[in-house]
Amino acid sequence: MSRDYPLGTIRTQQVWKRFRADQQRMLLRDRVEQAARRLRGDRGEDWRWALRDIDLHIEPGESVGLIGSNGSGKSTLLKMLTRVMYPYAGIIDVRGRIGALIEIRAGIHPDLTGRENIYLFGALLGLKRREVAGRFDDIVEFARLGGAIDRQVKFYSSGMQMRLGFAVAAYLEPHVLLVDEVLAVGDAVFQQRCLDRMREVAEQGTTIVFVSHDLPAVQSICRRGVWLEQGTVRVDAGIKDALAGYRDSIEAQSEATARVGEPLALLKYEVRGEDGEENLHTDEPVTVELTLGGDYRGDATLHLGVSEGTSSPIFQISHEIRLTGGDHRVACVIPRLPLPRGRYTLWTGVYSIGKTDGGTLMSWHSAGQFDVFGPMLDTPPRAVVLAAPVFVPHQWEE
Amino acid sequence: MGGQRAQVIDDREGQQAPGGVTIPAGPPPELVFKRRLRPVQVAHELWAARELVRALAERDLRARYKQAVLGFAWAVLTPLALCAIFTLVFHRAVKIETGAVPYTLFAYVGLIVWQFFSNTMNQGALSLANNLSLLNKVYCPREVFPLATMLVATVDMAIGVGVLGLMFLVFWTAPAATFLWALPLLVIQFAFTYGIALILSVAVVYLRDVRHLLPIITQMGVFATPVAYPLAKIPHRLQEIYVGVNPLGAVIEGYRKALLYGEAPDGRMTLIAAASSLVFLVGGYLFFKKLETGIADVA
Repeated sequence: MSRDYPLGTIRTQQVWKRFRADQQRMLLRDRVEQAARRLRGDRGEDWRWALRDIDLHIEPGESVGLIGSNGSGKSTLLKMLTRVMYPYAGIIDVRGRIGALIEIRAGIHPDLTGRENIYLFGALLGLKRREVAGRFDDIVEFARLGGAIDRQVKFYSSGMQMRLGFAVAAYLEPHVLLVDEVLAVGDAVFQQRCLDRMREVAEQGTTIVFVSHDLPAVQSICRRGVWLEQGTVRVDAGIKDALAGYRDSIEAQSEATARVGEPLALLKYEVRGEDGEENLHTDEPVTVELTLGGDYRGDATLHLGVSEGTSSPIFQISHEIRLTGGDHRVACVIPRLPLPRGRYTLWTGVYSIGKTDGGTLMSWHSAGQFDVFGPMLDTPPRAVVLAAPVFVPHQWEE
Repeated sequence: MGGQRAQVIDDREGQQAPGGVTIPAGPPPELVFKRRLRPVQVAHELWAARELVRALAERDLRARYKQAVLGFAWAVLTPLALCAIFTLVFHRAVKIETGAVPYTLFAYVGLIVWQFFSNTMNQGALSLANNLSLLNKVYCPREVFPLATMLVATVDMAIGVGVLGLMFLVFWTAPAATFLWALPLLVIQFAFTYGIALILSVAVVYLRDVRHLLPIITQMGVFATPVAYPLAKIPHRLQEIYVGVNPLGAVIEGYRKALLYGEAPDGRMTLIAAASSLVFLVGGYLFFKKLETGIADVA
């Protein structure tokens, strides 16, 4: 246990964390009541496990994506790695200087100027004044503050405040960089610069732990993925496998939410390849056949989409249909399937046309999954986020 | 990718890890986290954070005086106003006897100490609560927050001491030659004040209504402490107990003897005060460190 691991190593051993599940106000009089109850022998405590038995070993220089649904314990784990939070049980060992790329907006003091805040925040992260001064220009450049640096932070736009916080953390040059959901805020340009900066520090050998719901962004940075579910490690594998497993589970959950009382229902669907064979291949014909049932009569738009599990499709096609009250069969042929190898989810929905334009007849939901065989998608350079996997027939010449 | 898929255990309860290992209902008791304080490590960490203490104090000072028109004058005005009231009430009306020393000087020495204590206590108690958003995101030794507020109060006190110098000029007396005795008293004053600030700061995080106690402590304290009157007003047989509970009594009395009367502070009282403030400091620090681990959970 006291073995010395190199700087940048992250180790957690049997880490457990629990929170109070019962509602409690932080007031003295509540504590008095509680103490009185305890005297009567009623403990009245209710705990909920946030993390259970987390074992992780991350080598220096590894880049790990932490994924999972809300409440799965990602942020709690990250907080414990930053030492902001303490575990209930277990051992956490993070070697070297920790930098956390987190939204710090609220912590920046509004009455101070940008310059004063940079020094203050640098001191918080353990930097000497001299060290901050040495990186000052880089920080201002990264945050794109320019002349605003000597203005009080309360006059900054929210984007400027946020960039200021990130910029300091991004130039800390830590051994371990922890990134929590930074991309949820900030404009597209800044997001890309954050990713670029993460790529740079990863290339310098910094260990990265990246928490985000932006799965393509995670995939663009990380080589390894840890999928947390209900506080336990569900999958710890290569990033692609971890993401695939997680996306599957998203799809399974959205399928589970039953749609009752809608005018139309999907009775049957079939996805088949050329000549009706079951296997689908990249750049080859695919037929999607749907059978809709329901009482609705009139015109409607049928939407079909294909995604990697989430409800945002890679592509979407639609078609006007006239429903006559009975079962309605409709087929769509895609002559050349533009999808690389992988598992995909078919989504569909039907919306009315006419007086109640856009009324939901069958809400957008996943019908099921299908596998595509064919070439793997070429890996983009690091920190370049692939919005969606699309296969484009191509030829190289030299 | 379609073929080689991640191994997913189909278990809704999540009771199994990828290897198929069953997760127990709770952690083994021997692994339950216990806070261990290694004095060397703690001291090292605090020393490493000195820059942070300075930056935080600077932040508070700048922020405070950026808004206020009168700026640093506030550090002087509050004790001076109190001093004027005390002179009217206690000197003119109650007739407190201060010997050859002008009552205004006598009261002002007490007020400097009291003002330092009440500033540190009031600001220090809220120092964690006001910085929770920061505490939830960045690690640093948490005791720097009350420490920074004490540093701010020290700056105010330094200004107050400057004004004391002016008062010596006005009353045309000089500080007594025994003024060096003030240094050990200063250490006692800091130790006690910091101990209280530590206890209150972490208590406020856990129990939000503790902050309503602060004005009461402040209001009562200024009269319960020998600020406006000499320590001798407290019954002689209770003095030792009193100083044990409130070391500031002995500190203020000691300052007056050293600065105004040219005497050495009472040795016995000073020792009791020193022992008591050490208990407050160490006890407060341990209390703080014990509860510190849960701040992020309750905030």
